[in-house]
Amino acid sequence: MMRVARALCLLELRERTRDRWVLVISALFALLASAVGLYGRSAEGNAAALTGPSLVTLASLFVPLVALALGYDAIVGERERNTLGLLLSLPVSRGEVVLAKFAGRGIALTIAVLLGLGAAMLAAAEGEARTLAMLIGPTLLLGLSFVAIGMLVSTLASRQSVAASLVVVIWFLFAFFYDLGLLGLLVATDGDVPQWLIAALVVANPAGLYRIQLMTALSGTETLSDVGLASALPGPGVTAAIWTAWILGPLAASAAALSLRRAFR
Amino acid sequence: MKTLELRDIAVHFGRLQALDGLDLALRGGRVTLLAGPNGSGKSTLIRVLLGLVRPNRGRIVVDGNEVHVDGALKERLGYLPESVAFSEALTGREVLSFFARARGVARARIAATLERVGLIKAADRPVRDYSRGMRQRLGLGIAILSTPELLVLDEPSGGLDQDGLAVLWSILDEWRAAGRIVLMASHEIALLETRVDEVCLLASGRRVADGTPAALRRLAALPLRIQMRLDQNGHAADAKALLFSMRRARPEAEIVEHDAEVEIEIAQSELLPLLDIGARHPGALRDLRVQEPPFDEVYRRLIDTAKETR
Repeated sequence: MMRVARALCLLELRERTRDRWVLVISALFALLASAVGLYGRSAEGNAAALTGPSLVTLASLFVPLVALALGYDAIVGERERNTLGLLLSLPVSRGEVVLAKFAGRGIALTIAVLLGLGAAMLAAAEGEARTLAMLIGPTLLLGLSFVAIGMLVSTLASRQSVAASLVVVIWFLFAFFYDLGLLGLLVATDGDVPQWLIAALVVANPAGLYRIQLMTALSGTETLSDVGLASALPGPGVTAAIWTAWILGPLAASAAALSLRRAFR
Repeated sequence: MKTLELRDIAVHFGRLQALDGLDLALRGGRVTLLAGPNGSGKSTLIRVLLGLVRPNRGRIVVDGNEVHVDGALKERLGYLPESVAFSEALTGREVLSFFARARGVARARIAATLERVGLIKAADRPVRDYSRGMRQRLGLGIAILSTPELLVLDEPSGGLDQDGLAVLWSILDEWRAAGRIVLMASHEIALLETRVDEVCLLASGRRVADGTPAALRRLAALPLRIQMRLDQNGHAADAKALLFSMRRARPEAEIVEHDAEVEIEIAQSELLPLLDIGARHPGALRDLRVQEPPFDEVYRRLIDTAKETR
């Protein structure tokens, strides 16, 4: 059975590396990331303070977009091409299909992220590359969580166009509106919301957790204290648990939805 | 795999009864065609066999042993879905390579299969450049790649040109000769009549009729159309006598005459007596043709009869 999953993973990787949307967004990310690196290089003496946070902001917008573009057609695309039945007629379980597709698309995402951050590291000032290397792990976790979310959407959506619309909504929601919503909550309640609740809500969003985690890593906890979010940074165990939940949760839900489905075309 | 039986298969989706206690027996060396109107349950039955639909009731029995559709059974089957469209970014060879890897088939089989389905020259072109017929050939290639004991083809002739059909016929012949099982679902029953050994007609999730195409023709009992050309010049008297004898023998039959051309519809059982009349008037006939009704008329009659009796 692993034979099918391995073959499917390779196929997915090959297909995704030819996906025009993925290529365009990844190239744009690499271009902007190297521009940020060059910008930091020009700001002599202040490079670390500029490049890292700017890259975090850039990645928190682009990486979820690339990841959602990678994930949204995983299942619904097969269904529309009438190949899902063909795939499931192979000796492979439905859970393995989800995992193999995630693995192939996850590797494609890893390549896109490494190219983008690699471009920034090459363009950045000397000695800054090591600082920027800290971004790689959390950025990959951010991307993988959105690939998994995209795949869940793909499993539940009836048509590819519906899945595409849904992931755009999800991207806006997590990348922009979530933080705006929190600000709105604070304004509406005149700040009368427990700090722990705000902190929990911030890290419940993978993009929020990513920003908090890297802001702390790059600038220390002072910045968080300044904005009253010092308690937002969870410990390493909780951080790992949140990332795991954001990656495995949608995948498990996707596999369950596929397994519970009684009939396939 | 010598026999595969689907016993008492029932599938319902909410109130819709897709299959209603259906039995189907498939045998090695036989090509079986599932036919029936849209929504009759053909595709659902195929999906039950592939494990894509879980039936509410019923059993699958292979060589006398009840089985579940699991990895072991899936290793033994090849499947062509209806109107299949592959990832457009991949080439035909890459698509086939994936299925070869997934099924543990030697790489040498890829080129041989591409050759077999007539795609070797287009093997390295992206699938997006393929015509519908070429995609169908690729689908056929995937289905036969592992030389499965059970070949399941859903609308296999869709989009195929004459060369493509020749490939399909050769595959059916090979599987039949090797004693393997072939199950097809198709609306192109007239095209497939002479290519299949058994036909199972479905309507509203039930079996309406099954048997060889000849047996279904007998069951439908549609009239034969006889076309004759009379010799009204040299043997005018014989020709008149022949027509007279025919009218006397079949007073209720409508005999259509256009100059020397005569057409008459008769029951299959009346063919030999009619030929006997013709033999008694030597020289009256210049030629005679017996036309059997098209197989889709046989199909229509059986389906209509089933609807009337429900």
